[in-house]
Amino acid sequence: MTREEMLDFVQEVLGRVSVPDAVADLSEERSAFVRFGQERITQNMDTFRRALRLWVGDGCRKAEYVSHRIEGKAIPSIVKAAEDLLHTASEDPEYMPPAEGGQAYPVIDAYDEATALAEPGPRMSAAAGAMEAARRSGAEAAGLTGMYRETTAMATSTGNLCFHDATEAVFTMTVHAGGGSSYRSLVSTRWSGMPVDSSIEEVVEEALADSEPDDFPGGEMDLVLEPQAVADLVPYLLWSMNARTSDEGITVFAGREGREVTGGNFTLSSRLGGPVPGRPFDSDGLACADQVWIDGGVLRTLQCDRFWARKTGRPAVPGPGCYSVDGGEGTADDLVARTPRCLRIRRFWYIRFVDQKSLELTGMTRDGVFLCENGTCRPVRDFRWNWKPLELFSRIEALGASERKGFVSAPPMLLRRVKV
Amino acid sequence: MRDLAELAIAELSASGVGYGDARVETRMVESLAFRKLRLEEAALSTSEGVGVRALVDGCWGFASSTGLEAASVRSAVERAVKIARSGASVMKGSVVLAGLPPQTGSYESPCRIDPFTVDRHEKIGLLAECSEVMNASPGIGMTWAQMHLERFDKVFASTEGTMVSSRITHSQPFLTAYALHEGDAQSRSLQTLARAAGWEWIEESRLPETAERIREEALLKVRAVEGPSGVMDLVLDGHNLSLTMHESVGHPTESDRALGWEANMAGRTFVKLSDQGSLRYGSDIVNFIADNTMPAGLASWGWDDDGVPCQKWHTVRNGIFQEFGSVRETALLIGRESSRGCCRAQDFGHFPINRQPNFYLEPCREPMTPEELIAGVKTGIYIEGRGSFSIDQNRVNFQFGGDMFWEIRDGRRTRPLKKVLYGSHTTEFWGSCDGIADERFFQAMGLLTCGKGEPAQSARMTHGASPARFRNITVGGGVR
Repeated sequence: MTREEMLDFVQEVLGRVSVPDAVADLSEERSAFVRFGQERITQNMDTFRRALRLWVGDGCRKAEYVSHRIEGKAIPSIVKAAEDLLHTASEDPEYMPPAEGGQAYPVIDAYDEATALAEPGPRMSAAAGAMEAARRSGAEAAGLTGMYRETTAMATSTGNLCFHDATEAVFTMTVHAGGGSSYRSLVSTRWSGMPVDSSIEEVVEEALADSEPDDFPGGEMDLVLEPQAVADLVPYLLWSMNARTSDEGITVFAGREGREVTGGNFTLSSRLGGPVPGRPFDSDGLACADQVWIDGGVLRTLQCDRFWARKTGRPAVPGPGCYSVDGGEGTADDLVARTPRCLRIRRFWYIRFVDQKSLELTGMTRDGVFLCENGTCRPVRDFRWNWKPLELFSRIEALGASERKGFVSAPPMLLRRVKV
Repeated sequence: MRDLAELAIAELSASGVGYGDARVETRMVESLAFRKLRLEEAALSTSEGVGVRALVDGCWGFASSTGLEAASVRSAVERAVKIARSGASVMKGSVVLAGLPPQTGSYESPCRIDPFTVDRHEKIGLLAECSEVMNASPGIGMTWAQMHLERFDKVFASTEGTMVSSRITHSQPFLTAYALHEGDAQSRSLQTLARAAGWEWIEESRLPETAERIREEALLKVRAVEGPSGVMDLVLDGHNLSLTMHESVGHPTESDRALGWEANMAGRTFVKLSDQGSLRYGSDIVNFIADNTMPAGLASWGWDDDGVPCQKWHTVRNGIFQEFGSVRETALLIGRESSRGCCRAQDFGHFPINRQPNFYLEPCREPMTPEELIAGVKTGIYIEGRGSFSIDQNRVNFQFGGDMFWEIRDGRRTRPLKKVLYGSHTTEFWGSCDGIADERFFQAMGLLTCGKGEPAQSARMTHGASPARFRNITVGGGVR
């Protein structure tokens, strides 16, 4: 559907609603991916999904109905289903109408026409190229490449009307060689923005350098985390950075707003027009904005829904879907050169909370751990860790340049004296 | 739906593909959730659509569309064939499917009381009552009372003549309570999760009584002393073991991992193709039985998304690994003549991949109680339910927590503990199992959200066990 057709549809839906409050949200998702592994294309997909979410409220109760039947003649039955559901809901003591009218939505450059219309050829060629490069070196490649597009049109009964169109090109690859491996994740608004060919060569070389890993003695060591490893940790902070659950005593941030939670050289922010494009609005129609969550180690902002904001006197702060850890200059190689002995870690795997209240996590290393001593790095085996990321980010000695890794932009980090 | 499936097959056949299949689906999901005493979510979702696979010169193409109109079916077929041809033009395809005679029939999962006919006031009232029970103590800081009710109807048809249909109903109640004490927060939850059943499963779960138990145990747990570190014996209940076996037995024995197809995301496995029939996976008393025919199992669909009938087999027999779970595309590659029927997609919009079957640890055939297992422990811990969980990408090094912990001293369960972790390596762990309670104590756990694949998709399956004893396990996060 075109932008106009989508906006017309959500307004037509709202026009049929008989209760005071409503949000109609129509989304289209197209994804086209090639997945490869063990010298073969294992999946080759082109999927399309269109759905309408209709939220209705009568001032004290609310309900939500989702349908995939998107056609004008289906609107009365969709609205009836939502309103029937509403009539059975119990009263909501935290009832909030849709976001106040007059929201000013930021314009975010997150769409690329060439990526949206991509034919299968380039992604098939990228997959074939990755497998061929690995094969030439006696290695084996697996990965995923393709594009994703999401288009959303939303109307609220309070008079807001918004539209957002975003594309995402993806190339991820793991190469196994001997007992070692390496990994790379590239994500960009534009297919042309991903350095696919050069990354393939780098990953193959890194995997070959990781062959035959040794054991290593544990103890207190400096760590160099590559950008992917830092980005792997950040979501666990974000899940805890909620004003309400913190006020309720469930998270590590309880009572710590305005106080130091990490070292002074850790800053976590959201910039809607930054390296990871954000969302202009949330599911209630509330406009998103740039935020600084942790500023030089001090907890400044927690995500906060509109009810909790009203109750506690904070501003409502929706999650904008884009996060950035401030970096510096240089690469992980440069950070390794700053310490006589360190463990260099490429990425983490299967991170889970051990204790939510103290934000203690467990996980494994994956696809490259190196013991670097006096300019020489040798591969060592993956290991399990139990760490608290706020403590890790209190030990930052130096930062390199940030890179986009999924919905997080993160730099490499040199951390001093971490127990391994 | 059957007409649309026939249309898709006719279009696929006319396009000259080597093989093609279509899944036409409708789905309804009702979600209700109380956060503390407030109804936070009352949502109903309906979806419908078609997913089409086409095989051209050994290369897959898959396309899907929402909607159940002939036009969306034709569009999905056209796109699937187009990208399959495009793939075949870039590199030689290598997909060879294991043989399968044409299948016909229909399957309906058990559902005594249709959950979508139950008055919504009754559902909301039940969750409200549970919330009131859990919040009756001032020591409880937060609670969730939730209900997930789901039905999907599916028609699968292939160019080889298969035409099967299934109607599946899954129901899941969930309760959790967080207790707060002196700056700490600890939770206790209902652990049985989902079952292939209707409203009767919600009734059998006796939620208000369970809510009271959960509240009291959360209060006990938050005031408990922290668990010890060291090497000791563990007795693990069926709910805890369900997750441990899911991660350390279910995933490592998926054939696509052994073939390297998941290397970029979910990972690979330490189990080699040549290990079938020979690898010692556990002690002699360890038997894992895969069973996609068990009526209450979440992976019991009648046929999988290859159209292969659901089956029952030994994954591990007398401690020895027997065979991988397989799909038609992997069966020949792992040395089998036919698929074990483990091909499932999240829904019509996802490419079906190799997923875990339902499987369980076979209980002891002789009478054996959990108390007898505990009696054989001088120093150890009894663990109920699942908690923190993590395992490496080759499925060897794992660390698990639990939902409730009890100290064992001189053969008796004594005081509650909190913050207990145990870690081990897969075959060492199952090799240390020296006692399993009998079937009277069997506990099942139905998982709705097993994540795997790229783009990520979830799958569902049921596991279970009777409490079992494990010797000399590292407790306290010491396994690196």
